[in-house]
Amino acid sequence: MPKLIELVDGQARWAEDTFTALTDEDPIPPSGDVILSLARFQAEGDALLASNSRQVGVRIEPDQEVEGLAYDLPRIAVVALAFPKFRDGRAYTSARLLRERFGYQGQIRAVGDVLQEQAGFMVRCGFDAFEPADGATPEVLTKAANRFRHVYQRAADDRPIALDERAV
Amino acid sequence: MKAVVANRLIDGEVVFWKSGQWVERFGDAELFDAEAPVEHAVSVGKGQPTVVVDVYPIDLVQSDGRWAPLSYRERIRALGPTNEPTHGKQAEGGDVIEALRHAAGAARSTGRVDLIRRK
Amino acid sequence: MYQYDLIDKEFLADRSAEFRGQVARRLSGELTEDQFKPLRLMNGLYLQLHAYMLRVAIPYGSLNSTQARRLAQIARDFDKGYGHFTTRQNIQFNWIKLKDAPEILDKLAEVDLHAIQTSGNCIRNTTSDPYAGATAEEVDDPRVWSEVIRQWSTLHPEFSFLPRKFKIAITASAKDRTAAKVHDIGLMLRQGRDGTLGFEVIVGGGQGRTPYVGPTIKQFLPTDRLLSYLEAVLRVYNRHGRRDNIYKARIKILVAALGAEEFARQVDEEWAKIDAARADLPTAELARIRAAFAKTPFETLPARSDAFETAKANDAAFARFVRNNVKPHKQPGYSIVEVSLKAQEQTPGDASAQQLEVVADLAERFSLNDLRVTHAQNLVLPHVKLDDLPTVFATLQASGLATPNIDLVSDIIACPGLDYCALANARAIPVAQDIARQFADLDRAEKVGELKIKISGCINACGHHHVAHIGILGVDKKGEEFYQLSLGGSGAEDASIGKILGPALPADKVATAVDQLVGAYLNVRNDGERFLDTYRRVGLEPFKEAVYAQAD
Repeated sequence: MPKLIELVDGQARWAEDTFTALTDEDPIPPSGDVILSLARFQAEGDALLASNSRQVGVRIEPDQEVEGLAYDLPRIAVVALAFPKFRDGRAYTSARLLRERFGYQGQIRAVGDVLQEQAGFMVRCGFDAFEPADGATPEVLTKAANRFRHVYQRAADDRPIALDERAV
Repeated sequence: MKAVVANRLIDGEVVFWKSGQWVERFGDAELFDAEAPVEHAVSVGKGQPTVVVDVYPIDLVQSDGRWAPLSYRERIRALGPTNEPTHGKQAEGGDVIEALRHAAGAARSTGRVDLIRRK
Repeated sequence: MYQYDLIDKEFLADRSAEFRGQVARRLSGELTEDQFKPLRLMNGLYLQLHAYMLRVAIPYGSLNSTQARRLAQIARDFDKGYGHFTTRQNIQFNWIKLKDAPEILDKLAEVDLHAIQTSGNCIRNTTSDPYAGATAEEVDDPRVWSEVIRQWSTLHPEFSFLPRKFKIAITASAKDRTAAKVHDIGLMLRQGRDGTLGFEVIVGGGQGRTPYVGPTIKQFLPTDRLLSYLEAVLRVYNRHGRRDNIYKARIKILVAALGAEEFARQVDEEWAKIDAARADLPTAELARIRAAFAKTPFETLPARSDAFETAKANDAAFARFVRNNVKPHKQPGYSIVEVSLKAQEQTPGDASAQQLEVVADLAERFSLNDLRVTHAQNLVLPHVKLDDLPTVFATLQASGLATPNIDLVSDIIACPGLDYCALANARAIPVAQDIARQFADLDRAEKVGELKIKISGCINACGHHHVAHIGILGVDKKGEEFYQLSLGGSGAEDASIGKILGPALPADKVATAVDQLVGAYLNVRNDGERFLDTYRRVGLEPFKEAVYAQAD
């Protein structure tokens, strides 16, 4: 199992992962938090959430549109955005839309081919949890996420951008 | 006949396999007339990711009694750019370089990978 | 010119430090080549046939003399004493060692230069009109908007892993010197009926395997909405561009598949959802950037210069240079000077370290410290006083930089081709040199007039052969270099894709074939008609006949 790193106030740290990522074939365990595919969430999510005994997360593949989740977002604890390859950049758009357009407050988790080089981009787009594929530690991720003293464009983070700094 | 080529990681220099070493001159390259040692050299090279990149075999052709890479591309790699005759490996001159420059007969090398896709 | 402030400078320093760490991790084996390649590409570092190649960004093709001298120094210290200017206004060094790359980036950053996003599937360096701020044709200074886009696109968190590379060009003149219609996005500044400025937005042009002249998806985008609109275009592309096939991943394929109208509709739908207050550039920041370009310290001069007129009358070589390489300036008493990098036997677009230094000195002394790179692989001194032209000409001439052939038959665009490039199928440089030799007679070249020959060593079309009056594409025919000719393309405001003339020719027949094409043109042209216009009037047949009839 990949280890989970969470980002809190710009600092990355190891976190206990209470969620079990289920394939569509895995049986639903009797208890515990789960992450489901979008299709399975649409089929079984209501029932699982109704029990109020566990948290439910949804895994979104790059070709799936987060708009489909908009209505359910308030009750989804984790949106896991998949990177089948690190070169596939669609999840960055998904993350920004979740944060900036739909005001999603829960965890956005990067899963799949997640490398430290991408951390800065991911944090800016609203990711706050990572399952690194390259063995990156929280120290490495913190450094990677804060490598640039300045940024130029507004994104999902609330960082002042270059023009804000200039206006001071 | 074949040789095995690569680029050295640290500087990109074109290098040729010679009995377990990577050498800079085509004239020093080991020439193979069997498949097995070629595959061996390629696999050793691919196992040296901090030494060389893009390891692959090239076909050779006999021209005026000497062996030369079959394709223009590999000849240019063994020599340097044709627009700057003093740049690259060709700068040192000599018989081997002259022979490569005048090598006749060209064809697409079977060793050539699909470079666009590789990118 | 725009001056980098502490923010811009610290940004470059951070980027350089990041790459230094990545190179160290690659050399130690912590990063695999597969992981490292996209990182080095996003810093402009390719592995080519003989060595690494470093592509340095020249934002909107604009350099000051300090920067040009630094490029010369890098050419001398880390390369073999020369650099190659590209069709996207960048410069490439051909003999770079991976271990030196971090030091080179540090040295570039010291003078506000970098290699950020000169490769990789991201928004590339924005190109613009090399005559910006100097030509009377423009409705606004396109460098202002280029700088806005430079900042917005630099390490864009959402758009750094696009399906494929993404190139933007901006022009503000009716005469397009940027090839805007064959870019992923071409922005053409226009003045509206009410005097306000807007962009005509062209999306999905491109060359390569499937060349397209891009369709206009917005006739008039108010300039203050530029960034939100770009965000909408990029977002639609990032989500829906194909990622399963590298040859179908450019935005042109998406636009063609959806149709321009449907693509425009999807962009508008996304655009409407974007929070403009966050996405668009605040007026104050735009004003700050605009002010940086507005301060060109021109002197008030008479429109006529006696020194210039006298030199022109007395020196035929100078007069020829003026006819072909000197263009009108918006400011009385000034001129725009094109510095040709297409001398006989020169590699098109190459400049030696010494030549770069000569041009840097000229820029400093005679062109308000401003130097430009053109997409045709030449340099421009944008603000030269007419009074100074004779001196500038003499200095250029002494360094082999005064070839009077701008837009003439020997002003050939050529990619590095198989002499350097790992993707090439055939050489481009020797073919360009052959053709230039064939047309060494300048009287004849002037008689032929504007004729744009462009050569690519493979179908990726870095040499812009699709949009050449005479395009030449190198192909590999059973291991031999062959060249396919096409006619009637244009990368300018009258953009079109060339049509293939006939079967590919062996290398030693290309220059002769071009000569035959020119002969056919001279036979049938009307007065004042360019090669391109004659072709458009008479079609392919007379040209086909000229090249292939004798061969049969």
